[in-house]
Amino acid sequence: MEKKFGVYICKGCGIGETVDIEKLKKNTAGGARVPAEQIKEHGILCSPEGLELIRNDVKEGTNTIIVGACSPRVKFEEFDFPGTLTERVNLREFVSWTQEPMTEATQTLAEDYLKMGVIKTQKGNLPEPNILPDLSNAIMVIGGGISGLTAALEAANAGYQVTLVEKEAELGGWSAKLYKEAPRQYPYEKLDEPMIFDKIKEVEAHQNIKVYKSTTIEKTDGQPGLFDVTLAANGASETIKVGAFIMAAGWKPYDATKLVHLGYGNPNVITSVQMEEMAKKGKIIRPSDGKEAKKVAFIQCAGSRDANHLPYCSSFCCATSLKQAQYVREKNSDAVAMIFYKDIRTPGQSELFYKNMQNNPGVLLTKAEVSAITDAGNGNLYVEADHTFLGEKIQVEADLVVLAIGVVPATRAPQEYLDGLTEAGKKGDDAKKAYVDETAKPDFILNLNYKQGPELPTLEGAYGFADSNFICFQYETRRTGIYSAGCVRQPMNMAEAAQDAAGAALKAIQCVEHVATGTAVHPRAWDQTFPDPMMIKCTSCKRCTDECPFGAIDEDAKGTPFFRVNRCRRCATCLGACPERIVSFKDFSVDIVGSMLKAIDINEDDFRILVLACENDAYPALDSAAIKRMKISPSVRIIPVRCLGATNLVWVTDAFSTGIDGVLLLGCKYGENYQCHFVKGSELANYRFSKVQETLNKLQLEAERCQLIQVSISEYDKLPQIINDFVARVEEIGPNPFKDL
Amino acid sequence: MSEQIKPDLKFINSVINAGGESLKKCFQCATCSVVCKVTPDDKPFPRKEMVQAQWGLKDKLLSNPDIWLCHQCSDCTAYCPRGAKPGEVLGAIRKLSIEHYAFPSFVGKAVADPKFLLLTFAVPVLIFGAVLMALGNLKIPDGEIVYAEKFMPVPVIDAVFIMSAIFAMIGFGVGITRYWKDLTSGTKVKGLPMAAIMATVTEFLAHKKFKTCEETVDRSRSHLFTFYGFVGLAITTTWAIVYLYGMQWLSPYPLRDPMKIFGNLSAASLLIGITLVIINRLKHAEKAGSGSYFDWLFIGVIFTIVTTGLLSEILRLLHVPVLAYPVYFIHLVVVFFLFAYAPFSKMAHMVYRTTALVYAKHTGRDKA
Repeated sequence: MEKKFGVYICKGCGIGETVDIEKLKKNTAGGARVPAEQIKEHGILCSPEGLELIRNDVKEGTNTIIVGACSPRVKFEEFDFPGTLTERVNLREFVSWTQEPMTEATQTLAEDYLKMGVIKTQKGNLPEPNILPDLSNAIMVIGGGISGLTAALEAANAGYQVTLVEKEAELGGWSAKLYKEAPRQYPYEKLDEPMIFDKIKEVEAHQNIKVYKSTTIEKTDGQPGLFDVTLAANGASETIKVGAFIMAAGWKPYDATKLVHLGYGNPNVITSVQMEEMAKKGKIIRPSDGKEAKKVAFIQCAGSRDANHLPYCSSFCCATSLKQAQYVREKNSDAVAMIFYKDIRTPGQSELFYKNMQNNPGVLLTKAEVSAITDAGNGNLYVEADHTFLGEKIQVEADLVVLAIGVVPATRAPQEYLDGLTEAGKKGDDAKKAYVDETAKPDFILNLNYKQGPELPTLEGAYGFADSNFICFQYETRRTGIYSAGCVRQPMNMAEAAQDAAGAALKAIQCVEHVATGTAVHPRAWDQTFPDPMMIKCTSCKRCTDECPFGAIDEDAKGTPFFRVNRCRRCATCLGACPERIVSFKDFSVDIVGSMLKAIDINEDDFRILVLACENDAYPALDSAAIKRMKISPSVRIIPVRCLGATNLVWVTDAFSTGIDGVLLLGCKYGENYQCHFVKGSELANYRFSKVQETLNKLQLEAERCQLIQVSISEYDKLPQIINDFVARVEEIGPNPFKDL
Repeated sequence: MSEQIKPDLKFINSVINAGGESLKKCFQCATCSVVCKVTPDDKPFPRKEMVQAQWGLKDKLLSNPDIWLCHQCSDCTAYCPRGAKPGEVLGAIRKLSIEHYAFPSFVGKAVADPKFLLLTFAVPVLIFGAVLMALGNLKIPDGEIVYAEKFMPVPVIDAVFIMSAIFAMIGFGVGITRYWKDLTSGTKVKGLPMAAIMATVTEFLAHKKFKTCEETVDRSRSHLFTFYGFVGLAITTTWAIVYLYGMQWLSPYPLRDPMKIFGNLSAASLLIGITLVIINRLKHAEKAGSGSYFDWLFIGVIFTIVTTGLLSEILRLLHVPVLAYPVYFIHLVVVFFLFAYAPFSKMAHMVYRTTALVYAKHTGRDKA
């Protein structure tokens, strides 16, 4: 495509009063080598007249547009010119709202930004979507419990073909094993009959749903839109093609044999799962002799919220025990149900059920720390509890003790096994072999044929759950095209699981639809660019294969990496990782950013600070600070990056060699409670940065000239100060000695 | 050493039925103990009592002096985030405590239970009715209204009330002895702590505790009027005994007589007091709870006593015999009710609360 440039400068929102527009136009024509007649200005560029000005030029053949106006995060509908390569230069937030008007420094800043924008379009190209052939939009649901059944129905009712795989012989999961359900509707008083059986019937009768029971997944090959799933049932196997997965593999109760301190092992101590079975059979009894149980103790958080067992809250056990207390009361009006809790946690409408059950005279509740379950001598047990409001140390007799057992996600066992394998692998092949021989292999669920491993990767702090930990993207896992729902993602009750399933179904639909258009699925939804490596220069160092947060890069038989582009989320971590700098996107490459930063006006009398800002949190935070009119040093030049993980170290060395005095990287929080959209971008950048600081020391450049700071979007009010402090520190160190060379 | 907790479902239900129907709503947050102005800081009430009542720990509650330290200001009820009305629940527990220590216990049960309301009133109606029948005074007498001469002779009234007072004294005596024994069992308290008794009485006279209430502080005034109305009427009665037996001077007495003036003023104080009690109760019902059967029975009896008493006097002066004699009859019946059933009705609070306060003051439990 022959590029015909058009540069449009808006004078609105204070830009015209902050910058000398004529001078800006003149210097852009000179500095960026754009013909002067193609640089235009308008009082309010986003007005119908301003937009008409651009559209007329597009009609005349202009196809590469640089809009010097507001932040690209606003007015994207106005400045949308299909078929053109459009670059937005942020003259409003980064210049007009944050700088002193009409000063030399402000003028240079605006000229630099506009020049960088022009260069970006000169180096970049109009993206074209990469649509892979033979895509499937079918959806596979793993698990036939409440989450899986709901997800299957949601997707099927939306018109998608669904395959539901259940490893048990019957559908329904735990929901089918319940005697009754906690009330589902107002006034949340009476227990409901299980509704799962209606759902099972609906699924089995649905023309868009095919159900595989007693079936497991032997192998999953491919990528979103092109997954080849090999199913195994009764020794036979079958391969089917699907576009996306909903992972609803559910949970297992925590291993009660580890709860000896709570009396498990005594026949009269049972779990809440066993209590459902007992209630379903009929009477609530003391198992040791079959006598009717009249004093039933429920121990909450049995294994949950306990550093030695499950550190998290299992969410529904409080409602379960309240429900089972009703079983006790319903079957015998003389019986009492005693609930010993840390806190009652009944989220959402369960609170109303809690209130109703509380009002039952025979449901007795106390906050307590249960220290032991001991033998009362008469076949009954004593619940020994501390720190209650009934007494500091109390003992209550019970003929049946029910442990409200916690939730363990189905994904945990495979993850732990694989993590152990990785650890053993680090110690050598012998240790790895010993591990494989000695460790019982749990049931794998997905059996992915991915270089990075066969299951969903472990997420720090997620305790084996298939959680994304992304605040805004709850169903996403680190495998594009696989969306988790229900208790495999997070402990939740049935109502929440059903909602969750609908959410995950929507994500799976989004996935197959985006992949069909050859664009990124999320979080850069609709992004048409994709990584396009110059493979001829690849040295097979495999850094990209390791560092890709989404396992999008596999290796062929010879060990050469190749992209499974539909797995890719376009974060460009590979671009940042590649020492050969061979990965490019149409609008983002080592060369593009390198050329932009080299265009910065270096002045011997003035300092220049390059800020590489993550587009997801840091850049919006800068915009927000600008809305508050917070001043930022005019020495600063901000270049957005897709993710700090996309930062190639060569940019830092380029910056110093051209005479820039300091480089600041602004990325998301990492570690526990990380906020990175791409899991570990800023963490990777920090790791790489530790290397560059060694290089700087060798060059006798002070390591403090370059710094990485983690900011969250909510810290926008602190950000200008952080940046200005950094500028002040660099000014203290003094100018970059390479400036003179 | 662990303490054995023995839940009692029956007792839980009895608290609920005694006016503590909100009991189970408590989720044990202790807002009540925090807002309470009269609780000691150490082991504060009423959260403790709420939890104990939720588990039916009868033995811990009935002999617990803390239930009487509570003056039912209802600050707790107003601030309770769950509508558990601790003030009302403690009131119910107090009722159960009165019932528990009642002697004879069947009278205690009868007074506490609305089922026996008619029966309890039937007793004085039958007694006074029998007297009237025996004297042939069943029809409205002619001429000037003189209750003592033409209707109910004073010696008869005195005999009935002395009997009922003795009955009440025995009831109180046995009840309070049992209660004091339970209070002091396992403690070193021996004999009667005179200093604590004095402190309690002076506190009563000034209604100090009541004034610390926030939500229902106006109750201190209504109770004060009622309290001093009763004190005044007691003095009037003694005064009248002096007139009658000392000076052989028969009623009715002229309105300008100092005893008559004092008596009428006392009755006015009682009327003002009990009317304010009713108004306050209705006014505060939403935030402080609407009260139990036990409360309203007591309030109703006092209100009837004072209104029928005053009406008897007014109707006599206006000479309306058709109304005056029946009203006087009702007056006698309710006065009997108040006297004879004092150890079993809410009237007993004056004795149990005093005892509990004496104990609390003596043991350093009481805050003030």
